[in-house]
Amino acid sequence: MEQKNELFTIEGYTDEELFAHVDHSALESEKITAPRYSYWRSVFRVFFRKKINLVILGILALLLLFTYVYPALVDYDPFANLMDSTAKHLTPAQAFEKFGASIHWIFGAGASGQPTFDAVWFGARISLSLALICAAINMTIGVLLGAVWGFSKKFDIFMTEVYNIVANVPYTLLIAVLVLVISPSFWTMVFALTVTGWMAIAYFIRTQVIIIRDREYNLASRCLGTPITRIATKNILPFMTSVIVTMLATEIPSYISYETFLAFIGMGISDMSLGRLIGAAQSAMLTPGWGFEFWSPVLVTAVLTISLYVAGQNLGDASDPRTHM
Amino acid sequence: MKQYLIKRILRSLVSIVIVVAIVMILIYSLLNRDMIFAQDPMYTKVSNNQQVIYKYRNWKNYGYIDYVPYTDWLQDLCNKGEIDEETRRAAASFGRKPENDSEIVTEYIAKFEAYCAENGYTVQRLNAVTNRKKLAPGGAQQLFAYRDRSLLLRLWTYFSGLIQVDNIHNVEDPEFDGERKLSFTWKDPAYGGEKFSPAVMGNGTTHKYLLYCTNKFPFIHQNLLFLNLGKSYSGNNKDQDVYEIMTTTQGNWVQSVITYPTGLVENSADDLHTAVYVAGSLEGNPVLQDRFTDNYTSTQTVKDSFSRIGYSFVIAIISTVLAYLIGLPIGLWMALKKDKLIDKIGTAYIVFITAVPGVGYILMFKAAGAALGLKTTFQMTEANSNISYWVLPIVSLALPWVASLMRWLRRYMIDQMNSDYVKFARSGGLSENEIFRKHIFKNAMIPIVHGIPGAILGAMAGAFITEKVYTVPGIGGLLINAINQYDNGVIVGVTLFYATISVVSLILGDVLMSLVDPRINFTAKAR
Repeated sequence: MEQKNELFTIEGYTDEELFAHVDHSALESEKITAPRYSYWRSVFRVFFRKKINLVILGILALLLLFTYVYPALVDYDPFANLMDSTAKHLTPAQAFEKFGASIHWIFGAGASGQPTFDAVWFGARISLSLALICAAINMTIGVLLGAVWGFSKKFDIFMTEVYNIVANVPYTLLIAVLVLVISPSFWTMVFALTVTGWMAIAYFIRTQVIIIRDREYNLASRCLGTPITRIATKNILPFMTSVIVTMLATEIPSYISYETFLAFIGMGISDMSLGRLIGAAQSAMLTPGWGFEFWSPVLVTAVLTISLYVAGQNLGDASDPRTHM
Repeated sequence: MKQYLIKRILRSLVSIVIVVAIVMILIYSLLNRDMIFAQDPMYTKVSNNQQVIYKYRNWKNYGYIDYVPYTDWLQDLCNKGEIDEETRRAAASFGRKPENDSEIVTEYIAKFEAYCAENGYTVQRLNAVTNRKKLAPGGAQQLFAYRDRSLLLRLWTYFSGLIQVDNIHNVEDPEFDGERKLSFTWKDPAYGGEKFSPAVMGNGTTHKYLLYCTNKFPFIHQNLLFLNLGKSYSGNNKDQDVYEIMTTTQGNWVQSVITYPTGLVENSADDLHTAVYVAGSLEGNPVLQDRFTDNYTSTQTVKDSFSRIGYSFVIAIISTVLAYLIGLPIGLWMALKKDKLIDKIGTAYIVFITAVPGVGYILMFKAAGAALGLKTTFQMTEANSNISYWVLPIVSLALPWVASLMRWLRRYMIDQMNSDYVKFARSGGLSENEIFRKHIFKNAMIPIVHGIPGAILGAMAGAFITEKVYTVPGIGGLLINAINQYDNGVIVGVTLFYATISVVSLILGDVLMSLVDPRINFTAKAR
């Protein structure tokens, strides 16, 4: 009794002031309460539980800052030193000596005397924008049509045949022809990468939808008369979130890869993207002293794609509700 | 199963035809036709009407249009015997302008126009370009007709001429004498006529040897069937067949003592088995007359290295085997030691290969190989005896394969490990080793098995980046070079080849999977 008083009384207050009497309610006692659960809050809780994710997000933030903010702040003219033969293929030390120590020259100078550091970030802006736009378009169309594809049996028969045919047309050929037909600009490349790019995503989503569609709980839901749209949005979409996020994680780096590949084979866009930088500086790889102009775009691409990929994969893991326990 | 397979194969054939049709639409209808002249030095050399004619002639060669010059049409009439030589000559000399035409010319031009209108051709007449009454360079008057080829016609001619069988009526030489026949011999005359080596030879066929034996793999060779995938019109392989570009051996000549049909014994690189009929080649050519007794004089040479497809295939097949030998055990190990160090290292590798562009890691690998003293630039003849040239291309090609095998085997193994039958087996007292080997691994391998035919057949398609980085003379660059050079014949041929490979490997993958796992049944109706 003595103990209880110590625990439950707060000095200066009486029991009457601290507690109010609540009547028994038959209706309230029927309600089942559960801990408050917010899906996205749980996702981020699980995501930030891993400390490595903070590091990767930090790297990613820095990269994005350089990719989008840095080019807006500096003046970059790749041909400013074109006529100066002593300004070409410089190591950072030589560039510092020639132009004075500044952030522009920490990767040295390239084949036309341009600061490699600036070239890399201007290139990264183009490559990353291309990847983000293509991923956004392909994911939107792919997920929406994939869902319809999975639900409608008639559409499935038709689309599967279309998919079998389109998957056999060499992708390189399709893109090359499109780039040749319409001039090789940024938006042409977006068009070329998205015109059939959504199909693989849609096919993947279709398979996932078919797996989940026929589960018992959805059968039960249908028996209870739930409309298809409600089943799609409430029963199936939550299941798909982690799949979609995981896919997004592989999609974005894959467009950067693809752009690099196309630039390497000489079918890339006319802008100086990361891929074209790598392709153009390829011959400098094994030349002593010229390594910087080749390795810096390769490394920036690698760090960019790896951090995007890992962050996306971990977000995908975190968005699976089964990890929220 | 049989019925299913037949249906599946038929469906696949249809889809191959559609793929080729799509590619034909892409390159013949969507591509700007003038682009093929962008890098053509001849085009800038010719001027005025000559340039227009040059354009149309090339479009005909590249397969865009049907093109009939007026004079050819007249010649054709003459050959058919409808008009005599004199009329032809008179009708062919049309004037610089339509007003200057003589009566007979006007009459035949009207006939030509009627013929063209009937067959859907468009007639075009170019008046002479003159400079002070004299013809300007390339300014001669021209009269011709052209029509776009329709897609259906193009598809039909392509597929109907796809497989060509050599037969005794193939030689169309009016001066061909001798009996048209096939003959069989036990002792091949190309080896001097004494060694036992059966061969089927033809007279009147395109090739002299239709079936013959050599000491090289696959020992029995044939010239009977020819896959006419298309012809190259530009670039390095101008006028070669796609099939030849893929399969002709490369490298330096290899000389050996051979006996020519006349009995002349000489040290030469000629491969008598590839002799092809060339009309009138023997006449007035003493060098050939010393060696050959008939017009089968055009031979290919024996060379010491692989063909394009051979290089791609050898490199890819070795790297695929290597990838399975390395990737599967590591994937297994990662699944066994889930969340331990090996799993983390393996995952890091997988992330690296998946995320970094292929160009990036292959170039990184090339630099690492160069630092180790391995050869980074492939040399055909030297590579025959020096293994150092092969290491980097093979390993570079295996890198992504290893990663993908590791990733999927690990995934499938871990999925199986959590399934109920494994828990049941464990509760039944089976040892961990037994569970892994007999239950989990077998089940996890089923999806992996599906990819094996694709891996083997895909090896023939070549790997572009690897081959370009290490300058391997393989097949990988064929499609991309053809696109860059607007080589339409090669584009269509290679597309057909790729589409066939991918369709066949999918079917074989499904068949193999159903053999490995009897539960998989393609014939049962879906519930």
